[in-house]
Amino acid sequence: MNNRKALFVQAIRGPILLIALGTLFAIHQAGGLPIYRSWPLLIIVVGVMKLIERTAVPVSGVYPPPPPPGGPVQ
Amino acid sequence: MRSRNSFTGPLVLIAIGVVFLIHSLSPEFRIGDLLSNYWPYLLIGWGALEFVEVCFRFFSNRPLPPNGVSGLGWVAVVVICLTGFSAFQVRQASPWIRWAGFERGMRAFGEEREFSVTPVQQAVGKNPRLIIENFRGDAKIAGTDGEEMTVGGHKVISAFDQGELARANDETPVTVTVRGNTVILRCNQGKAPSRVHLSTNLDISVPKGASVEITGTTGDFDISGLSGSVDLSSENSGIRLQDIDGAVKIDTRRSDLIRCNNVKGTVDLRGHGTDIELTKVAGQVTINGSYTGSLALRELAKAVRVENSRTEFNVQGVPGEIRVDRGSVSMQNVVGPTRLTTRVNDVSLSNFSDGLELSVDKGDVELNPGRIPLGRMIVHARSGNIELAIPQSAGFAMSAITDRGEVSNDFGEALKASSEGRGARLSGTVGSGPEVRLATERGTITVRKASASGTTTVGNDVEGGGKYRPVAEAAR
Repeated sequence: MNNRKALFVQAIRGPILLIALGTLFAIHQAGGLPIYRSWPLLIIVVGVMKLIERTAVPVSGVYPPPPPPGGPVQ
Repeated sequence: MRSRNSFTGPLVLIAIGVVFLIHSLSPEFRIGDLLSNYWPYLLIGWGALEFVEVCFRFFSNRPLPPNGVSGLGWVAVVVICLTGFSAFQVRQASPWIRWAGFERGMRAFGEEREFSVTPVQQAVGKNPRLIIENFRGDAKIAGTDGEEMTVGGHKVISAFDQGELARANDETPVTVTVRGNTVILRCNQGKAPSRVHLSTNLDISVPKGASVEITGTTGDFDISGLSGSVDLSSENSGIRLQDIDGAVKIDTRRSDLIRCNNVKGTVDLRGHGTDIELTKVAGQVTINGSYTGSLALRELAKAVRVENSRTEFNVQGVPGEIRVDRGSVSMQNVVGPTRLTTRVNDVSLSNFSDGLELSVDKGDVELNPGRIPLGRMIVHARSGNIELAIPQSAGFAMSAITDRGEVSNDFGEALKASSEGRGARLSGTVGSGPEVRLATERGTITVRKASASGTTTVGNDVEGGGKYRPVAEAAR
């Protein structure tokens, strides 16, 4: 069911962002790329997640399912 | 809303509980250090848990939460990031604000060039007072014979283009003005356009009798061979002083190293910094501020007073050495009475005279007075073991208490051990001598006999020990 897949992608966005954030800070503290340089990667991650969400389902899961064919019931 | 049967929340709670449990069971486990270093993994772990949970729900056809991390969860994330990041930066004391700042951008995009400073040579008399204000750059000042002062060096200028570079160079000549005894050296750095980054690195030689007064912003100082005083205040400097006869006063907002070697006057350090190294100081030493690195004091003839953020002590002289590193304080061959208060540190004191007052929050204490007669000792640890090695022939009146832990005793019958609840007590008198009071709220107390070889009597030659404080005065 497409709707469920979209919900899944959306639900997984938070955790992935959290992992990315943690990783960037960990790299910063280990003396690698500092966080004030690597932060754009977070935006990229959000963008990619959005993109996947779009491609997973044409209709985003948060919205109510499209009206049945034949137009809305009056 | 999130359904009730999520397992991430409980797991996070369990993890926090475990961390605090380990913390309360073993005091060596330093929760602050752990959190400040590893908090990003907390985020990663949390994210991973949520990730697994969402996947699990998806594949087992359970209802999915609308979003993996709730609004309140993100608030928690922001709080964790802010506190963790600032805790880490504070501990590192790294000048990240400067990295992130404007200077770096300028260096990266603009042009940088070196210009040499037009040399200055000027008669200034035997004992001039040299003043340098608002100085940015490295300065090397050396005392020489004669009555002349010479200034040389180079400027490093960064600007957006060549024209600005040249203009900035023209507007910032190094000038020397002599008014009676006072010599003012100006680098005119304020006259450069604000967009230009300029630092002047100077090589100055002055008559030996000179005193120096410098206020600097950024840059290192290397000053040697002066018989006058040195008064230095700076935003961010490494400072090295060698062979100064007068008083030394240093005030820094940030510093990687302050090193003074062979100073005949007093040394007074204030402010914030990292490492301090003082060797061979004949005058009093006062250190007051927040220095996050290591502190090494050697061969200090007079009283030393240190009030650092985590450790405070004063002693009457350091013929031997005092080292304070992250996590440990050690004193070896010091003249007391010694008073030491420290928070999270292991303390090891050996070969000290004339009494001790020691208070430790968390850390083990190892005492080896090594001299007789003993001084009065009052030691209190909130959490940590105390080990005291007493010279064979010393007399003392012992009272040791641990609220939770054991007592071990080498003196046999003379001291009476008894257990009390979860703790223990040791008391008694050996010969006649001063009070020795040891107390820990949690930890083992060990009282043992020191090996004979390590013992010296005050008055005999303890590597200058008698020189600094006569026995009669010490007994006061």
